[in-house]
Amino acid sequence: MSNPRLLAGLTATAAIALVVGSCEANRNALAPKVGGPRFHFGAFECIPFKMTGGGRIDFPPGTADKNPPASHTCETFGAHVITSGQTDANGTCLADKGELEWIDHRPEMQINGHPLNLHATAVTFAEVATDTDCRDGAAHWGGKLRVQNTGQEDLDFEVWDCDNGEPGAGHDGFAISVPEIGYEVKCPDPSLPPAEPTCTLTGGNRQFHPTHL
Amino acid sequence: MKIDSIRRAIRFAGFVLPLTWVPGSMAGQMRAAQAQSFGVGVTTATVNQQAPSAVLPAGGTMAQDQASNVAIADMVTAQDAFAIVAADGTDASDAVSSATLEQVSILNGLITADGIVAMASSTVDGAGANSNAEGSSLANLVVNGVAVSDPAPNTRMDLPGVGYVVFNEQIPTGDGVTSSGMTVNMIHVVLQQLGLFGYETTGEIIVGSASSGVN
Repeated sequence: MSNPRLLAGLTATAAIALVVGSCEANRNALAPKVGGPRFHFGAFECIPFKMTGGGRIDFPPGTADKNPPASHTCETFGAHVITSGQTDANGTCLADKGELEWIDHRPEMQINGHPLNLHATAVTFAEVATDTDCRDGAAHWGGKLRVQNTGQEDLDFEVWDCDNGEPGAGHDGFAISVPEIGYEVKCPDPSLPPAEPTCTLTGGNRQFHPTHL
Repeated sequence: MKIDSIRRAIRFAGFVLPLTWVPGSMAGQMRAAQAQSFGVGVTTATVNQQAPSAVLPAGGTMAQDQASNVAIADMVTAQDAFAIVAADGTDASDAVSSATLEQVSILNGLITADGIVAMASSTVDGAGANSNAEGSSLANLVVNGVAVSDPAPNTRMDLPGVGYVVFNEQIPTGDGVTSSGMTVNMIHVVLQQLGLFGYETTGEIIVGSASSGVN
């Protein structure tokens, strides 16, 4: 009679130790570094996921408030990425597929009288960011794009993508950089919700799915 | 003998039929996302055209269409029109659509706008289903020479001799629990003519339309 009780007691103790241990490990992994930015898309994992949706950003400044309509200062986009969590020989997290269509409506960003239009030709990498405060999930992904206005091809791009609950407007975030043409829409202010360097959506929604199916 | 056969048939039906019954609530759990958008749409007795236009394909994740210049039936002109739809076509928990246009002129300048953004988004999860038109806007809207600043949803104005127009038209659908949808038409002109029985609708012009839905 005492053996089953002893076994049960030992099993329960081991289970509690396992749970406590795993919680402790996760807390350490997610804890911000002392003295550094709290949320900065600096730690990543190669795991299956997809991010879908689209939206609007009013950059600058990239806050949750829309700019005055008359200014027409905004960017709109549709974007999605899917990865099964595979890595290449260099440890890069590979994307299975993705798309990006980006339009910058700011008058000063026009090229030959037309809004700047970026179109992804390949999405090559995608990784989950584990050090953000994006409630439902965050991702860093990118690849190659074409500037539709000029025909410039094979330009590297990367985006920072944040699903911070519903609705997407006022919560979710998105940022993009195309270094070769010096173009970026980023909001690198740690005080801005939901996570730098993303700019807060003023419309639309980003949806993180913890599966690639 | 005959009675036994009937009894057996009833027993068989009583056993088999419940297995084939699919409750309505389960059928309702077949989730789907819808999204479509277009820049300009004109419908009259002689014209039925949309451009550019994007519709989410079944099971797809994104579609887009664009046009540098749009001109339909001498009724609408616009530049740099984009229609984008994006959703999760397999999980079907979210859908976003947008239509953007620049330098819009309707009915030879009766209505003009420098920029239009129509945006609709829908999501559904365990907490419920929601849709909104956040992100939609009209830049420098002018009606018959008079500036109209940031019209509230479903703002209606008469257009003497033409009909009427609804700005920022928002049409919600769904029960908000398992389904939700939103259609936003930033400029919706209803063309009317005086007939024998009063004003009759003869057509419509929609500029900047975005729809999304989940269930």
